[in-house]
Amino acid sequence: MRIIYVLYFFFLLIFTLFSYLFIDPNLIYLKNIYTGFAFSNRLTVSLIYFFAVLIFFCFYLFFVNRFQKKIFSKKDFIILLTITIIGLIFSYPAIVSYDIFNYIATAKVAFFYHENPYIIMPIQFIGDPLLLFTHAANKIALYAPFWIFLTSIPFFAGFGSFVLTLFSFKILNVVFYLLIILFLYKISKNIYNVAIFAFNPLVIVETIVSNHNDIVMMCFALFAMTLIQKKKYLIASLFLILSIFIKYSTIFLVPVFIYMIYNKIKQKKLNMEKIYLFSAISMGIIFALSPLREEMYSWYAIWFLTFTCLLRSKFILIITSMLSLGLLFRYMPYMYLATYSSPTPLLKIVFTIVPIAIGLFYYWYRFKKT
Amino acid sequence: MKNEKLLYLFTLVFFLFVLKTSVFAQSNYVLPYPSSMPGSFSYKIHLIYESVSKYWYFGDFGQFDYNLKLADKYLVEAKILFEYKQYLLGYKALEKSNRYFVNIPLNLAKAKEDGKDISQRRKILEESAQKHIEILSELQGKLPPSFLWTPENAKSTNLNLEEMMGKSIKIRAGSL
Repeated sequence: MRIIYVLYFFFLLIFTLFSYLFIDPNLIYLKNIYTGFAFSNRLTVSLIYFFAVLIFFCFYLFFVNRFQKKIFSKKDFIILLTITIIGLIFSYPAIVSYDIFNYIATAKVAFFYHENPYIIMPIQFIGDPLLLFTHAANKIALYAPFWIFLTSIPFFAGFGSFVLTLFSFKILNVVFYLLIILFLYKISKNIYNVAIFAFNPLVIVETIVSNHNDIVMMCFALFAMTLIQKKKYLIASLFLILSIFIKYSTIFLVPVFIYMIYNKIKQKKLNMEKIYLFSAISMGIIFALSPLREEMYSWYAIWFLTFTCLLRSKFILIITSMLSLGLLFRYMPYMYLATYSSPTPLLKIVFTIVPIAIGLFYYWYRFKKT
Repeated sequence: MKNEKLLYLFTLVFFLFVLKTSVFAQSNYVLPYPSSMPGSFSYKIHLIYESVSKYWYFGDFGQFDYNLKLADKYLVEAKILFEYKQYLLGYKALEKSNRYFVNIPLNLAKAKEDGKDISQRRKILEESAQKHIEILSELQGKLPPSFLWTPENAKSTNLNLEEMMGKSIKIRAGSL
């Protein structure tokens, strides 16, 4: 067994243990393992988080390098993927975001209370224990209907147990994480490209730890893209619509899809590199514009990372990796200061921009100079 | 003399204060802004939207919200139509408001049966009933007891407004 597997697995296990320091004091279902450590030792946990993210990126760069040089094979990929999933699936999901509780609360409104989550808020069910720790209980459903339909699977799989439901949601995400990896491989036929996406710490943290549904949305969109290549336009359109009806954002891929279908019908050869670039730009624009709506959330990066990994550009790889690093660092100001008001917003920008600037400098130094 | 003047002033202010605070207890419940009125094209669209949105507002609480929203909407519509002496249309709007209002306690009963905490919605219902009664009582004083509505080239209709007002208040009083 390669020593790197052991080290990586050990690191992930520590990260999982670290995640449990963030258990919400009101999360009655996990009160037996609640320590409150993260809330009373903010500097310590922020520093641990900082180094954990750095180590995570060191592993990432190492893996990507090995796959690029073909030192790591498909078998290594599968082993590393298995280690990643096993190592993190039992992590506590609300280190930096509480969205999983919103997913569960919305599913409960729809499938337990049999109310329309688009008009009835979870907060209206007085006495429901979920209200103690659900942060957006005073909001109607934020996601599109197909996502709510999908959440019925983990909700019912939880058999009324909160902990079981929580991990059922995680399993749902892992399934889509594996599916998207499969589609990326089918598209690229190159394990290196897939590794760029699959082992990106941001993708891993936001998908397996924090359990954001962006991976599900992108999985449907990517599958739709593969169907266009097979000239199955109708079913491809259906899958794109399903993707849009998860989180709306992939509506920005519609022009790319129309362009693809038009060229296919006209029997023109598709330049897929160009298609992925357009898709990445399209999703990148909506990501960049996200502060206009609310905030630039780190997990939104999955929207364009799904396509950038397919591009053969060293520059894009460096910039997206450093942006991913910066986006994970974005959580630190709140983790330390426990406030969303000043200076947290400014620090968030600084933490995001600095790694990108370092990445740009590195690229200029390493490639342009030579 | 000076003290006497001060006493008068104090008494006046005191009575003003008492008078000001001893008016009817008013509900803080806010009724919606008037929507489109019968006869306009958008009114027809609103009617279609209402019949379709009934299915969107599924669930006990959803139906509660739906019925309350429309009971409020048609009460406001009736009030405006009565004020413009459009008695037949006002009568019909109030009939509609009543039809929606009677469903609300039934929605609450069903929610309770389904194990939902209805205390918050019970309060909303009481406040809305109080507000509705307030509006209806105000209208009652302004409307004639009955009115013979005679449109051009059509049969006339005798509207028993007094009975309608009494019935409407009774429906709402049942929820207090």
